[in-house]
Amino acid sequence: MIEVLVKPGDEVAKEQSLITLESDKATMEIPSPEAGVVKELKVKLGDRVSEGSPIAILLTGEASQAEHPEPQAPMPEAAAPPPEPLGRPVPREPREAIVSKPHASPSVRKFARELGVDLARVSGSGPKGRILHQDVEGFVKGMMAGTPPASPPPLGKGGIGGVNFKLAPWPEVDFAKFGPIEVKPLSRIQKLSGPNLHRNWVSIPHVTQFDEADITELEAFRKANTAETERRGFKLTMLAFLVKACVTALRQYPQLNASLDKSGESLVIKKYFHIGVAVDTPEGLVVPVIRDADRKGVFDLAKELADVSRLARERKLRPGDLQGGSFSISSLGGIGGTAFTPIINAPEVAILGVSRAAMRPVWNGADFAPRLMLPLALSYDHRVIDGASAARFTSYLASVLSDIRKSLL
Amino acid sequence: MAASASPDLECELVVLGAGPGGYSAAFRAADLGMRTVLVERYPTLGGVCLNVGCIPSKALLHTAFIVDAARALAAHGIAFGEPKLDLAKLRASKDKVVGKLTGGLAAMARGRKVAVVQGSGRFVERNRLEVETAQGKQAVRFAAAIIAAGSQSAKLPFLPDDPRIVDSTRALELPAVPKRMLVIGGGIIGLEMGTVYSTLGARLEVVELLDGLMTGTDRDLVAVWQKFNAARFDRVMLGTKTAKAEAVKEGIRVWFEGGQAPGEPQLYDMVLVSVGRTPNGKRIGAEQAGVAVTERGFIETDSQMRTNVPHIYAIGDIARPPLLAHKAVHEGHVAAQAAAGLKSHFDARVIPSVAYTDPEIAWVGLTEEQAARDGARVSVAKFPWSASGRAIANARDEGFTKLVFDAETHRIVGGGIVGAGAGDLISEIALAIEMGADAVDIGRTIHPHPTTSESIGMAAELFEGVCTDLPPARKK
Repeated sequence: MIEVLVKPGDEVAKEQSLITLESDKATMEIPSPEAGVVKELKVKLGDRVSEGSPIAILLTGEASQAEHPEPQAPMPEAAAPPPEPLGRPVPREPREAIVSKPHASPSVRKFARELGVDLARVSGSGPKGRILHQDVEGFVKGMMAGTPPASPPPLGKGGIGGVNFKLAPWPEVDFAKFGPIEVKPLSRIQKLSGPNLHRNWVSIPHVTQFDEADITELEAFRKANTAETERRGFKLTMLAFLVKACVTALRQYPQLNASLDKSGESLVIKKYFHIGVAVDTPEGLVVPVIRDADRKGVFDLAKELADVSRLARERKLRPGDLQGGSFSISSLGGIGGTAFTPIINAPEVAILGVSRAAMRPVWNGADFAPRLMLPLALSYDHRVIDGASAARFTSYLASVLSDIRKSLL
Repeated sequence: MAASASPDLECELVVLGAGPGGYSAAFRAADLGMRTVLVERYPTLGGVCLNVGCIPSKALLHTAFIVDAARALAAHGIAFGEPKLDLAKLRASKDKVVGKLTGGLAAMARGRKVAVVQGSGRFVERNRLEVETAQGKQAVRFAAAIIAAGSQSAKLPFLPDDPRIVDSTRALELPAVPKRMLVIGGGIIGLEMGTVYSTLGARLEVVELLDGLMTGTDRDLVAVWQKFNAARFDRVMLGTKTAKAEAVKEGIRVWFEGGQAPGEPQLYDMVLVSVGRTPNGKRIGAEQAGVAVTERGFIETDSQMRTNVPHIYAIGDIARPPLLAHKAVHEGHVAAQAAAGLKSHFDARVIPSVAYTDPEIAWVGLTEEQAARDGARVSVAKFPWSASGRAIANARDEGFTKLVFDAETHRIVGGGIVGAGAGDLISEIALAIEMGADAVDIGRTIHPHPTTSESIGMAAELFEGVCTDLPPARKK
């Protein structure tokens, strides 16, 4: 929980936001189910809550008046109707600390303390779900074997994803010695995505395949149709066509629309096409997912892209909007650059980076012709995809982009 | 610096105060290989608990219990006649108990090579403590410190200075047996001492500012004790303030106000002041070491018992309520282990409490009242000792055992027992809570028959609707 918007004694209206929750990179405000007066908050900043966690006790209707006695005339306890426990997603059942703590004996709690294991994350295999000594051991082993820890060990201490790099210590430099400095904390999103990016970067053998697509015709086609979408209130972007073309190429090369399974021995090929699209926001980078992109037309894709970008910037994405992607696109075309090497968004196995299109002289066999060329950069997991497949994928993708009619085939 | 000052003692850990928390911390640290110094104001180790608290009071309460039990035997056809009291001998036997325990502690300190420095200690710097010993000032330089300086009886400033007005420490010295005794403050300590004096022959009166005796304890439990002990009291004045007292030749004259105050001032031979205890946070120079002390004199800590100064810990009464020896001992171990670099935290879920009155009252975890206040949904099972074979055989069937369960998961979250020996029965409930046991776990644990401990298993069975030692539940 990252924000508390009310305090005890506050009057709240129905649907008024009470607290802000954060999960993955999405934040979500939890509205009040009823109007009333906040009697007591059951949560505090930084608490981890889940479905069913009580948020606050809200006094509704007459109860709230009973709780606002004149200072000189305190109401007897019994006069106040029983407070209504409140909360959403699923309210009810406020719990006392003894009850809500993980089901583990003192010796197991001690063991977990020593290893720094948060028992709330361990599932118990003992009678009635009790967490046993071996459950804590199993949890730690799982972590060591590559299930990512929630927060990475400090830089230079090694041990990420089961890899111990034995790195030299991080250089400690007193920057202020060399000139004035300002210390600015990382944004929430940066703090959250940093460990994931770090894990992906060190634990996936990345290779990046570059290519170019001739989008002269596509750009003309896009321009010819912008009037229509602008009339409907959104822009027809090149990104929408890119999503469409990627789906076409992924159908052709399904091993790029896949993930390694937990054992690392099989490939899980997805029969759906949920495309993650990196969106730059003032808080940092987020990757909302366009679901079932294969079943949507380019207009629909363009509209949806416009919508999620807006929601991302307004910090209104829901956790579900960020989950389930099978392939990602990171487009810096609107900003500039000639090429870059994107980091794979695990557990996906490939990501397409797109830089700015530029007019280039292209030899057509007889002459140099001015063509609008779009730089493509495909980073892929070399454990899953070999270089030939990646090159085939990008060249096929380029061919689809140069003749978008191929996506109809 | 004075020329006569002895050289600084150097140590890895100094423990200030040798009560149960302090000596446990020092001994644990020594066992972990730390060079440890233990500073104690009094010549014997053990603090309030061993010297002037838990232990001597239990020695006297045991005596009182036997006297009352012997009297009760008249109903069984065995009469002993009136007991003859030799106060000096009783005092000596109690002192022998204390001596045996404190002597044992001193030997254990020697065995562990814990250096004991006798005198009042005060911090003078972040890593230095000064002890006012009989031989002069002794400085102790330390890498880490554990503050275990405890608490003292709270005083009522308006009371005159008179030997007939006593606190619990003085009352334990058994100066005399009064005819009429007033207990100011109806908490556990006052009522335990009242029990002793009443069995020795005093008529009791008690005055309490709040509206009940032993407030903070489940009313159900207290009611049983109160009914059983009604004959000891000439007057129980609740919601009543002690306004004024005057020492006169014939006794202490006391005026009361409000509540159940009698119209006239009353005359007593002895007045016991037991209005709570005050932590000693402000008496140890904590500020010199940078340690923050609250308005009330407590020193706040984290779950490793670490104060705001990372190498200084605080445990026991001085750290936080409840002011109980068994809590202090656990905290002492945590602090010693943390100081030795172990990842030790205080994470006990519950701390049991016992009133060693007759019958005893013991409780642990959530009460129904607290659950209602916290909005936790609980469900309660109460097994009356009038259905316990053993309690009936003991001719002490006034008690009951009550268990509090989470209404949804049936996990045990609290319990209370009133009855003879309740204090020795409560641990099972505490263990069940720590282990996360539910009603079936407790009910299916075989309890020996016939014992009063059976009542815990039966209360759990009652909760599950499978108890056969009570009349069948009426169908709704």
